[in-house]
Amino acid sequence: MSEKTNTGSNIRNNNHVSFSGFWLKIWRGNPPGPLLLFISTIIALLMTIPILYVVRQSIGASSSSWARLFNQRVPELLWNTLSLTFAVTAATLLIGVSLAWIVHRTDLPGRKHWKWLLATPLLIPPYIGAVTYIIIFGRSGWVRDLWNSNSFFVSNFGNYSLNIYSFLGVFFVLTMFTYPYIFLIVSAGIKKMNRNYEEAAKSLGLSSFQTFLKVNIPLLRPAIGAGAILVALYVLSDFGAIATLRYVTFTAAIYFQRASFDMASASILSILLIIITMVILSIESRTKKKSKYTQSSNSFKKPSILKLGKWKYPALIYTSLVFFVSVILPLLVLIYWTRIGISMGAIDNRFFGFAFNSLKVSSIAALVSMLLAIPVVYIKSRNPSIISSVIEKLSYMGYALPGVIVALGMIFVFNNHIQFIYGTYFMIILAFIIRFLPQSMQAIDSSLSQLSIRVDEAARVLGYPPWMIMFKVILPNIIPGVLAGGALVFVSAIKELPATLMLRPPGFDTLAVRIYFEANEAIYYLAAPAALLIVLVSVIPLKYMLSKY
Amino acid sequence: MSAIELRNVTKTYLGTTTPAVNNLSLSIEEGSITTLLGPSGCGKSTTLRLIAGFERADAGSILLGGKVMSDTNKWIPPEKRGIGMVFQDYALFPHLNVFKNIGFGYKGNDKSRRIKEIINLVNLDGFEKRFPNELSGGQQQRVALGRALANRPLVVLLDEPFSNLDADLRVQMRIEVQQIIREAGATAIFVSHDQKDALAISDKIVVINNGAVQQIGSPRVIYQFPNNEFVAKFVGQTNILKGIIGKDQISAITDIGQIPCYHNHGHAPGTEVTISIRPDSFELDRSGSIEGTVLSHTYTGESIDVKVSVENSGNKTSILAHMHPEKIVQAGDKVRFRVLPNFVAVIKNE
Repeated sequence: MSEKTNTGSNIRNNNHVSFSGFWLKIWRGNPPGPLLLFISTIIALLMTIPILYVVRQSIGASSSSWARLFNQRVPELLWNTLSLTFAVTAATLLIGVSLAWIVHRTDLPGRKHWKWLLATPLLIPPYIGAVTYIIIFGRSGWVRDLWNSNSFFVSNFGNYSLNIYSFLGVFFVLTMFTYPYIFLIVSAGIKKMNRNYEEAAKSLGLSSFQTFLKVNIPLLRPAIGAGAILVALYVLSDFGAIATLRYVTFTAAIYFQRASFDMASASILSILLIIITMVILSIESRTKKKSKYTQSSNSFKKPSILKLGKWKYPALIYTSLVFFVSVILPLLVLIYWTRIGISMGAIDNRFFGFAFNSLKVSSIAALVSMLLAIPVVYIKSRNPSIISSVIEKLSYMGYALPGVIVALGMIFVFNNHIQFIYGTYFMIILAFIIRFLPQSMQAIDSSLSQLSIRVDEAARVLGYPPWMIMFKVILPNIIPGVLAGGALVFVSAIKELPATLMLRPPGFDTLAVRIYFEANEAIYYLAAPAALLIVLVSVIPLKYMLSKY
Repeated sequence: MSAIELRNVTKTYLGTTTPAVNNLSLSIEEGSITTLLGPSGCGKSTTLRLIAGFERADAGSILLGGKVMSDTNKWIPPEKRGIGMVFQDYALFPHLNVFKNIGFGYKGNDKSRRIKEIINLVNLDGFEKRFPNELSGGQQQRVALGRALANRPLVVLLDEPFSNLDADLRVQMRIEVQQIIREAGATAIFVSHDQKDALAISDKIVVINNGAVQQIGSPRVIYQFPNNEFVAKFVGQTNILKGIIGKDQISAITDIGQIPCYHNHGHAPGTEVTISIRPDSFELDRSGSIEGTVLSHTYTGESIDVKVSVENSGNKTSILAHMHPEKIVQAGDKVRFRVLPNFVAVIKNE
């Protein structure tokens, strides 16, 4: 080889080395295959486009619409939303923490069963809960009938005047159906708590109550904080219960602005809601960093059980009452009206049609989510880098933000650019995927994290390239997680209300949509069978949900 | 031909400045068992991962069976290197039974015959249908070894294979693993931080520290004649003393007297040297030339570790010696020793 060509190839080589050196550096020496990187990047971008579009639209809105909104609607909406969020969070904390403590640390009769019974309100979507309480307390509800038929109440207190369509009504319903988030997370915290700390505190002369305040509560603070943030985010994003009870927060306002085709206002309200959500999310990431207590695990001792003594019955009544109000009573209402519905022929072809629509969009969404989640989780777990964590974070955007915002963004994108899909039920499927893909990702991730990366390496030295390892080793081992993730997405999709309402093509009704409309018109015998069916379907991933916390 | 050759291999991990492996050269004979021995973080595991192809060297070249696997222009991925590897946590495939784990990488036509052969070799007959979570630690280890050997690899790499086993099983598995590798006729490289493992199984030990080779030799040579203070202290206990080579050229004059020292690198009489004396070379002897006072003693069951203060022309030196466990000593006792020459070595002056 002549000297000249030699130099030339060296130069080319150096250029190559410097770029691949940079690339290797980003990926910590372990870059993913180009196809995997491409696919997961596309997925992440798909998850974010609708939300970016909302942001763009709001920036593009005229300053007069900004001014008008800020003068008229925003102060009231802010007050409604924030006061409700605060009140529900505070109330669920009170109920969730106290129940977790009673169930896990005292000799409450039947505590083994209470541990999971008290989590079951999660099976009832809050808008279905709202419907049941409208049936009970509403203007033509059971309590009114009881009240008005009793001359004692009427003569002493006047006619029935309780209004479920109020702040108190929404507050009550959201509290009763979201406290399990806090109950579950705090329960997990209590179970992990090492008895040694309490014994150390007692040995230093603290009383039981002082120990509770100075040792237990601080140790549980990360769990309490995480639970509170989960509930707050839920209240911010809820549309169903709030709209059913005719209260107006940001989500409901966005929905109704869009229904009257005031897209500019809808996008401006959305950006405000996005900001509030982001603030709460940033509080979460900050508390997560701050509050990583290391509890020494090698000397773990189960916490001791407190004797309730004379408090046994008050505690039992309290627990039973919460359970009755949040599970038994709503179920009784649904069963009662379902029986009436069946006798009136509510389970007809129309009903099966709605059920089939629900099944169709939810199962396609679940299947696609299972497939899409795999590459995103894989690249994050096996090729850690700044790029893969950005991919993962982006994929979470649709999950973190309320459904009305995702739906609004999709309307913008598809109405303007991809009209042949706009107005088909694929819009709903896509919205479900964007909203619930992370549930599938979490389930797969917890499966994959149990599979050591050494197992991948073992397969490589035995002669398999990475893409084959994916099929021969990774997939067979994460199948349980993939299925669990699919089930979670399926159930979430069946329950989903706001995006379905906003994106469905005319005449395409699902069970959730029918419940919303029938309840609005007080045709309970048509709403109840669909609601009961949704509750029954929700039982599927219960075991997985309980084990997750 | 050497089965494995490393030439001036250097690897610095991203985000660090000191190289994990620094200009390391090594040549391993076919059919031999070699242990890379060193403290954690010394670069031994990195060396193994470089050979396997899980890490890429910044400089130098790696050859397997005479073929270049990695140099500045070339890099062959792990799946094409034809090696076997046993991982510290075994990394068995959780979804496959013993039979399928062992056969996972085998592509020959005689697959089931070969798997049976291996199952027989690693003594797992009757366990074919079991899954990894139904096996004991020792059995998992044997599956991992069988899986690594099934393809008749050029070389088997074993990363701390005994560290997850408790003491009894560890001793048993050392013997068993060595036997299986010998029977298979494989070339093997172990990585270990445990000197007992290394001494027991190896034909050759490579002591590594700070990413560089400290000494290469047979277990006996490494233990009896360490090259430098690091090797002397890391592989067993030792006494490090300053001295001068005596006129007879086979002894050294130290603060505790004249000591026989055959392994002295041919230094001329009068040269200042550092020597390492293993505690085992001190033998109690009433007519011994070294006298001292017992400072403290520790009974270990296998021996008694005694700290002895030796006074020689006004200088007090404290030495560590081993005594037979049946002896009874107390602090303050006067004892006399003589020195056996086989565990005395001149080491590099550092």
